Amino acid sequence: MKKRAPAVILLLLLIGGTLVLLLTPYDYTFQDRNAIMAPSSALHWTGTDELGRDRTVRVAAALFIGLTGATAAAAITTLIAASFGLLAAFSPRSIAAILMFLSDVFLSLPWLFLLMMVRSMLPLTASPLQTAVATFLVLAALGWPACARAIYRGAADLRSAEWMIQGYACGLKTRQLVRLHLVPHLRPLIFPQFLICVPAFIMAEANLGALGLGVGEPMPSWGGMLQELDNSALLAQSHWVYLPIVLLVVVLLIFESFVSEVDTNA
Amino acid sequence: MRRLLRCLFVSTGLIALLATLAVCQATPRQPGELAWAIHYDPATFDPAKVDEQASALVRYLTGGVLLRTNRQTQEPEPQLAESFQVSAEGTSIVFKLRSGLRFSDGAPLTSADVAWSLRRVLAPSTQAVVAEEFLLPSEVTIDTPNKLTVTVHLPKRIIGVDKIFDEIAIEPANRPSEGRVSSGPFTVTDYKRGQYVRLSRNPYYWRRDGAGVQLPYATSVRLDVLNNREQEISLFLRGDYDLIDGLSSDYFDILAQKAPGSVHDLGASLNTEQLWFNQSSDAPLPAFEKAWFQNQGFRVAISEAIHRDDLARIGYNGHATPAFGFISPANKFWHNAGLKYPHESVSDAEKMLAASGFHRSGNQLYDSFGHPVKFSILTNAGHPARQKMVILLQQDLAAIGMQVTVVTLDFPALIERLMHKQDYEACLLGLTNVESEPNSMMNTWLSSSPNHQWNPSEKTPATDWEAEIDRQMQHQASSSSQHDRKLAVDRVQQIVADYQPFIYLVYPNVLQAVAPHLNGVKPSILWPGPVWNIDSLRLVIGAR
Repeated sequence: MKKRAPAVILLLLLIGGTLVLLLTPYDYTFQDRNAIMAPSSALHWTGTDELGRDRTVRVAAALFIGLTGATAAAAITTLIAASFGLLAAFSPRSIAAILMFLSDVFLSLPWLFLLMMVRSMLPLTASPLQTAVATFLVLAALGWPACARAIYRGAADLRSAEWMIQGYACGLKTRQLVRLHLVPHLRPLIFPQFLICVPAFIMAEANLGALGLGVGEPMPSWGGMLQELDNSALLAQSHWVYLPIVLLVVVLLIFESFVSEVDTNA
Repeated sequence: MRRLLRCLFVSTGLIALLATLAVCQATPRQPGELAWAIHYDPATFDPAKVDEQASALVRYLTGGVLLRTNRQTQEPEPQLAESFQVSAEGTSIVFKLRSGLRFSDGAPLTSADVAWSLRRVLAPSTQAVVAEEFLLPSEVTIDTPNKLTVTVHLPKRIIGVDKIFDEIAIEPANRPSEGRVSSGPFTVTDYKRGQYVRLSRNPYYWRRDGAGVQLPYATSVRLDVLNNREQEISLFLRGDYDLIDGLSSDYFDILAQKAPGSVHDLGASLNTEQLWFNQSSDAPLPAFEKAWFQNQGFRVAISEAIHRDDLARIGYNGHATPAFGFISPANKFWHNAGLKYPHESVSDAEKMLAASGFHRSGNQLYDSFGHPVKFSILTNAGHPARQKMVILLQQDLAAIGMQVTVVTLDFPALIERLMHKQDYEACLLGLTNVESEPNSMMNTWLSSSPNHQWNPSEKTPATDWEAEIDRQMQHQASSSSQHDRKLAVDRVQQIVADYQPFIYLVYPNVLQAVAPHLNGVKPSILWPGPVWNIDSLRLVIGAR
């Protein structure tokens, strides 16, 4: 039960978020201009922000946008990393060295500045949804090298494994070897990489958003909502201002516990 | 290895903690010293080369001037000059200096010093910004018939010429000292880059109070370089700072609770916050968008759809005044009280759009060619009030079917787009007006000006109404009749209200915090705010 607690909490958060989005009469853009920084009430459970927008609805929407975006970006980055790592592992050594050098070059790039640069090159008329998609795609495109290196090391070990040699000796084709033996053996390596990427991308989006380069207004995001914490005048008005960061920390801890659990099982 | 890493972490943490504590501490205050924060280092201490506000403040506090504009009456008052006389044609000014004037090092101040300082400012090699205000600086000549008389000859009449001398500090001839030898109330004595500028009392300052006590009262002034609003407020609350000029509206109410009586909302400032569309024909925008932005009906409809009361109430927490023209009601003489402007009405806005060839389908507005009306509004990052206003505008314009994307950029990137690439659709920014005189706004209104933001540096006015603005602004700049000038400026205000090249949103209020232990403050909405009469400010005995 103890091991399942993080998953249960995440599930409860998702169910709660869904109910909030379905049952509340406002959408996340609605500005109640007569209820600026309103305290919690039956109408606004966690109050409103400084533009009169319902905080509960915005936090729930940010939870879904953050999780969906980060999960999709993590899936893409893991796919790129797995392809790159496997290609390097099953190529001649000289090509593997070049590919890994490329991945090292990517790793040594100042990724935050790259992210900011790429994000600021988006057309000004990009809609909030487009900015959200672009932000997470950029994260996916830049996040693969560390995973690729880990997968390369694992795959390189498997390449020289006895069962691999035996498979070749038995006449199995490369495609069959990959499907029947390599992928099942790599799964414990790839899955944690995916799990590590999800909180990393949630954090990266939050950082970009806090710098004003994340998801565009009025779409809510962790980063955009964390900007409120920069203003002590708001902090003094309502403790609900802390809600996004509390939820962000909870979600990050949940994913960290998933990674620890997978590591322990492995 | 682990122990080494642990040591590294602990020591880094300690260093960070100590650094934070050090930053939170203001530099120790000397007895009788006034202290407040400036937000960046002065770029120069050379009073002739000032071109930004921190340097201008140091010049204001240290530089002795011939005339100073009283920030309450807005009239020039003699300072180093005992009297001045402008000729009937307005082409010469005779200044009579006070006798016995001295610089802070004890050297006498004569007409030779004044002439040298004026010539230095006028010389092209100095590149003094203030020289431009003489219109033809190379043709200005200066005579010194005797040690106490200076005559300035101008090639042509300049309206409000007396105000220019408020910005020219008199320095010792041939001994420019970057404020270390001055004729004003203070002199620069210590500067630590990124930390503070310390100014000490000028023992030879010419002015005395009614009881014959030599001014300034304060022994010194410390300007801390601090670009952190939160920290500035906590240092003010702790009594380390005596004032905050340009208090953010976010913090006004909090400070009012914590230090009642120390914060002041002086009402509308001379500054404006406005929205404008890129009307430049060279802009890299689709032709149909340019057609929208150049359409008077489109701009007027937007103006009608905006809830300015909400912008003032929510964007500025009530510390702003809805704006409809470029001259604030705080500028009592030049404000056009009879201005006819588009009133807030969503239904009128929709009618105006329909009359201008736009039509609505569902929640989306389309132009006559079927293009959906979508555009972005740029504003600068790090300005919470503007960021709030632009999101409020997003919803206001959604009500008339326009889809607005909000884009916040850091200031250099924003300026690059506005001034160089012209690659933007609309922009929300503010304009700071230091003076009430309309001549100081020429660089915005003349179509040939680079600061004519909606269509900068036009070779010839693109429209008849811009040509009319040019004519009226030139007329007011050259007319000797104040009545004619007022009529011309009123006409420009009406043209701007009719054509809405700038859609004015709010006049931010002047917000100041002044510690109760600081005496002698005479509130003013004009720069430099509460310290304009710096020589008369003093700490209550025993306060510090």
